[in-house]
Amino acid sequence: MDSPDKIGLTLPYKAEYVSVARLTSSGIASRAGFDIETVEDIKVAVSEVCSRIISTASGFDGHYEIQFEIDKNELVIRFYSDNNKIRCIFDDDKDGLGMSIIKAFMDNVEFCPDRTGYILSMSKIIGVVSGNGL
Amino acid sequence: MSSELFLKENYSADGARVAVSGEIDIYTARQLKEKLYSVVDKSSKDIYIDCGGLDYIDSTGLGIFVGALKKTRLEGRNIHIENLKENIKKLFIITGLDKLFILS
Repeated sequence: MDSPDKIGLTLPYKAEYVSVARLTSSGIASRAGFDIETVEDIKVAVSEVCSRIISTASGFDGHYEIQFEIDKNELVIRFYSDNNKIRCIFDDDKDGLGMSIIKAFMDNVEFCPDRTGYILSMSKIIGVVSGNGL
Repeated sequence: MSSELFLKENYSADGARVAVSGEIDIYTARQLKEKLYSVVDKSSKDIYIDCGGLDYIDSTGLGIFVGALKKTRLEGRNIHIENLKENIKKLFIITGLDKLFILS
């Protein structure tokens, strides 16, 4: 039985590395078989979460992790933090722009799930055309 | 490998123009805010933002655009956003910001 492919990226809480997360997620989404428009959507969604983590972690040392898991029909992306003060990162998203973008671009998003090791999980089903029809 | 942003301003009788190229994200947002707010303060007319060279923007950047718009609206002015690439225009539509700015 084939197990999912897993790719991990560990980044410091520094704004200058968010572009690295974008490049990595583009590469992985392409490899997973998404079309160019969906790759762009996934890249934006990942970057939104990273930006939010960086804003919340302002001044912290340490690292956060992004884990990508490619299963046969789904790409799952999970975010982990080594600092337990970084949990519900979208709770005070006043404008809601970040959350609305992530929800629009990803098929499934878990914000601040209880009793899991990750702070956010999102997934995109492979083989479905980007759902915004724009 | 960090994102880069290039901004160029000019002023005319019609208004102030800012040409944006590169990427607007959490790393380059401060640079955008300083420039855009400065242009809004220096001009008394509408602001035109040429996004023909803009490859990426996220909610941090969109928030700065909204902040600049609030400043202009206090004086009855508008912000026009021009030459958006399709992937960027999509973000404006999804967030409803296409109804706040004048897009062309």
